[in-house]
Amino acid sequence: METRSMRDPWQEMRRLQREMEHMFTDFTPAWRWPLTGEYPPMNFTRGDKDIAVEALCPGADRASLEVSVVGETVTIRGERHAEPGVSDEQYHRRERPIGTFTRSLGIGDRLDPDRTQATYTHGILRMQLARVPEATPKKIPIQN
Amino acid sequence: MATMTTTNQAAASTRQERPERAARTISPPVDIYETEKTYVLLADMPGVMPSGLEVVAERDELIVRGRVERPAAAPDYQEFELEDYYRAFTLTEDLDTDGISATLRDGVLRVEIPKSPGVQPKKIPVRTE
Repeated sequence: METRSMRDPWQEMRRLQREMEHMFTDFTPAWRWPLTGEYPPMNFTRGDKDIAVEALCPGADRASLEVSVVGETVTIRGERHAEPGVSDEQYHRRERPIGTFTRSLGIGDRLDPDRTQATYTHGILRMQLARVPEATPKKIPIQN
Repeated sequence: MATMTTTNQAAASTRQERPERAARTISPPVDIYETEKTYVLLADMPGVMPSGLEVVAERDELIVRGRVERPAAAPDYQEFELEDYYRAFTLTEDLDTDGISATLRDGVLRVEIPKSPGVQPKKIPVRTE
């Protein structure tokens, strides 16, 4: 039996992956990854007139929080800072993510940016988004 | 499970959640760091108000509990669900449990646990002659 045929074709890939992970771990410990992708998680509820959106982002720097509304999409931005003056060596455990985050969510209704309100309490960013009123049918008089 | 206990100066190690707890809880993510005089624990607990927070240090255990108010109806679109929080940590003898302080700000709990005076580094003044 030829030994080469017994080799797992993915073995080399896994070895390379492990090496890459090890390399990145050396330079970027796992607890320092930037907040990207699906952070922060969001919920929304449609009301008769407006839409209530909540984003779970505890410990965000209040000055960095931004909410913008374009068309049917709401976008939030913010940042979570590391503790100032604390070196990596002082940490025994780091599970809380830090870094900047951006998240856009399509609501499915045209939104009015001028009537958007947002508050940040207990680590939850709450937004009240107003729909653009539907165009009402206008009767056109027929001229003789 | 990795612990935060160092070889010669132990602080607190994460303990497995107790299996007998029937209520559904979330284990909040934490950071723990050490300064010259204290250990600092930061826990993400969004949705918890000060009235719903409980930090208890008894014997060799620090227990953190947070109650949240769940919405009356499920959202139309949902990526997260607010649940109560629970996490327990083992305290070692080198900590001054009487001096523990806790604050809650923007959904982050901050607990400061002073080291016992005996384990704090003592500065020896050097006299020059």
